[in-house]
Amino acid sequence: MKLKSNTLRTFTSVHTWVGLVAGFALFVAFYAGAITVFHHDLQAWQTPHAAQSAEQGLADAQRLLDETLARHPRAREHVGMVFPGGEYPQAASYWQDANGQWRYATLDNLDGGDKMPGGALSELVNELHYTVGIPVAGRYLMGIISLLYGLALISGLVIHLPKLADDLFALRPGRNLKRFWQDAHNVIGVLSLPMHLMFAVTGALLSLAMVVLLALNPLAYRGELMTALGPAMDTAPASSAAGRALPMGSLAMLHARAIEVARAQGLASFEPAYFKLAHAGDANATIEISGESPGSLGPVGAVALNANTGAVLATQLPGSRDANHATLASAYALHFGEYGNAWVQVLYFVLGIGGAFLFYSGNLLWVESRRKRRQAEQGRAQLGMARATVGVCIGVCVAISMAFIATQLAQWPALRIGGDIEVTIRIACFVSWALCALWAALRPPVRAAQELLWAAAITTAMVPLAHGVVTGAWPWLTAMQGQWSLFSIDAGALAMAFGFGWLARATARRARDGEPNSVWADPRARAAQAAASLVTD
Amino acid sequence: MWGRATAAAIPGFLLSAGVTGLACWLLPGPWQSTLVAGIVAFFAVWIAVMALAFQCRNGKRAWAWLGGGAAVSLATLWLLQTLQWVR
Repeated sequence: MKLKSNTLRTFTSVHTWVGLVAGFALFVAFYAGAITVFHHDLQAWQTPHAAQSAEQGLADAQRLLDETLARHPRAREHVGMVFPGGEYPQAASYWQDANGQWRYATLDNLDGGDKMPGGALSELVNELHYTVGIPVAGRYLMGIISLLYGLALISGLVIHLPKLADDLFALRPGRNLKRFWQDAHNVIGVLSLPMHLMFAVTGALLSLAMVVLLALNPLAYRGELMTALGPAMDTAPASSAAGRALPMGSLAMLHARAIEVARAQGLASFEPAYFKLAHAGDANATIEISGESPGSLGPVGAVALNANTGAVLATQLPGSRDANHATLASAYALHFGEYGNAWVQVLYFVLGIGGAFLFYSGNLLWVESRRKRRQAEQGRAQLGMARATVGVCIGVCVAISMAFIATQLAQWPALRIGGDIEVTIRIACFVSWALCALWAALRPPVRAAQELLWAAAITTAMVPLAHGVVTGAWPWLTAMQGQWSLFSIDAGALAMAFGFGWLARATARRARDGEPNSVWADPRARAAQAAASLVTD
Repeated sequence: MWGRATAAAIPGFLLSAGVTGLACWLLPGPWQSTLVAGIVAFFAVWIAVMALAFQCRNGKRAWAWLGGGAAVSLATLWLLQTLQWVR
């Protein structure tokens, strides 16, 4: 395929600029997102003795629901709850108070707090994934970043297209390091393109859907969108209270009914995960029970029942749902890798880390292609870009590992760290990130890169160590006991630590042996090696 | 570059709205049943339209093409809806 040179030039600069603008946020989103794939396992990992402690059952959920409804009149209108077991070891209820603020209650805290209990670490990592740690605006910013990312993918494909057939499997190691990085950047980008396009679209969808729907409402939907949205997203038909009191059916009965209904529709399994209850205690009370049926694309489905009698009102289950619910469930599942078995998650993790590498290597290529070949002193733009890449990208790897360590240490009775665990791990994360950025700003980039990569390797290797010391769940013990959730997090951390160490050594090699006159060249290392070889000669 | 970038963002958004809206309303069945698919498709369409904006030779042409396309697609959609030829 031949492209006009003008088009090629335009798309090259679109790719460069969009990549630079969005690259940093995308690195954070992909690195944190790769970890978020394992958020179920992380839930178990961050709760000490989760494996040993008795899981709550439906009776506990019933008790929490009764107490919530008795204490909080607002919850009687609409209340949601996660069933205990599975992802959340304990039942938690949530509702909106008079000011529209979400409140969360557990059996330990019946009055309710303003945060979902028990998930400080996985929540922090998830938040980094979809907001880069910026409150409120971060979510919309990431939506715009997703769109720019889609544009970067298309423009990258267009400029690579003419040489695609020849270059795809060309990975040329050797003297020309920049060529090697370019090859690696291209091959990862092209081979994982379908997944990246899917992330660009679903990422924009998840963060911008509501804003865009509001804009599209007058343009394409004649202002009738808001009435159509409920039936398109919910399963239970909208109902208003009858004003007549009627005692509610038991959770055990409704739980069993939901499974029964799903079975009757031919689903081999349906594991209720959470429910939404409207008008509790009223004759018109409805409950929408959502759960997973593994083995389908878009495994989350829902059954809506009359909350008093258990009569079926509506269902949206895999295999028999309307286009809206099928699309929504598949888009969700595709984004989070929640289909298939554990290998899908491993694949998502690898592709996520590969994606992070794509943005890191993109920045390195920008720096290298503007290298001043004839002078040791490099331009301010190259220096700044190198510092920012090292500080932000490697810094966030250190920061997330620090949050993991802090999660364990904060819950170690021996240390007597009081206070809110969420605040503690946030401080650990954002302060270490800021310190890394500061370090990268003050040191020569090539030294900062090596030092921070070693910092990432050491902190990440300490993740299983902290877990073992605090909970006694050492990797070999969890492996022997078949607690794969706990083992996979620790083993993954060790593998990542080796990866960071390998990158640190590769960076040192580049500084010493690579082409001189670059921000990544280190004249001192070069001189030291020259002196050493003189001695041995 | 700025001309084409703003064209991608502003008339590009409107053109994508028109194209997606036409597809959703022209498909058989009520428009409500394509609501979620429509919003997913909208983001894919908008990304493609943004790439098209950079295919144009300069910002003025990008604004003209995308703006014209947006006007035509949205006007057609509005006409079809008003005449109740689509639902």
